[in-house]
Amino acid sequence: MNHFALTIVGRDRPGIVSQVTEILFNQGCNLADSSCSILGGQFTMILILGHPEFTNRESFGEAFKPLEEADLTVALHLLKPGGEIRPEIEGDICMISVYGADKPGIVYHVAQVLGEKQVNITDLNTKLVGTEERPVYVMVLEAVLAAGIENDDVNGWLAPIRDELQVDITVRTIPTVEL
Amino acid sequence: MTVRSILLYPDPILKQVAETVAEVDETVIAVVQDLVDTMVDSGHSVGVAAPQIGILRRVLVVDVSKSKLGKDNNHGLLEMINPEIIEKSGSKMMREGCMSVPDYTGNVTRAEYIVIEYTDRFGRLRVIEASGFEAVAIQHELDHLDGLLFLDRVSSLKTDLYRRKSQ
Repeated sequence: MNHFALTIVGRDRPGIVSQVTEILFNQGCNLADSSCSILGGQFTMILILGHPEFTNRESFGEAFKPLEEADLTVALHLLKPGGEIRPEIEGDICMISVYGADKPGIVYHVAQVLGEKQVNITDLNTKLVGTEERPVYVMVLEAVLAAGIENDDVNGWLAPIRDELQVDITVRTIPTVEL
Repeated sequence: MTVRSILLYPDPILKQVAETVAEVDETVIAVVQDLVDTMVDSGHSVGVAAPQIGILRRVLVVDVSKSKLGKDNNHGLLEMINPEIIEKSGSKMMREGCMSVPDYTGNVTRAEYIVIEYTDRFGRLRVIEASGFEAVAIQHELDHLDGLLFLDRVSSLKTDLYRRKSQ
């Protein structure tokens, strides 16, 4: 089975998920992982899908044309074999919240520190909240800490950013339990 | 000593509500013992509920005393018949895994402190306070008696559901 990554973006309105999934169902696609959300005024869909016969973009023919006619931007690409399989990431899961008065570089500076320390970010969401006069930037990310890295280490690495950017940062691990 | 096999979802029994135990008789004590044996045999489990071994009766066992997170705050082996939470407060998020839903873990928020009433294997009514990991474990097992899995409690698949780390 070949796997594809499909992204769809368009002004939010009711019926987008239904229109998209009807087409995929009729084409014989299997949806594997997917994540769909409103970002700004846009509804965004990211899907990993499989098809037993389709080998490339052309296999889908004109299937996505109705979506484009409905003002949705559609992008599809074929994954290399195995690209649909989530890698095993060893380590403790940690949530990091960063928030403060909006200013450029919050995401970059935090990501830079984590990247340098080889911390794997597995999820990241940001939102601009607060009022127009006092915009507040909020970022929540989930990362996997390799063996030997503790909460306090991460706190220490992020401490300079706390001062430089005047943001509040909390780091907490979520214990994994077998019940 | 009878170690039972753990039912795996989508076994329909896991989604049914278990029946209240009317009287603590030999059959109930046998269920309690099988649950304990099954929990101990698994090596890493801190709790098992009767529906997980195919018995739709309101019985569960919990023992967090040997786990890293529970060893400093626990009641040892708890055998609960007809358990009921009569008070709860606080909230605590843990990434839960379940023997009946292998390979996945999910973030679940539960009460951090509970007061729970139950009947023990001698037919005595007991009331205990539990907190932290032990409270979470009791709530997880109690959900099994109501046909609920941790999958019923996760709020977002995007951040909350992950393939379990290889053991």
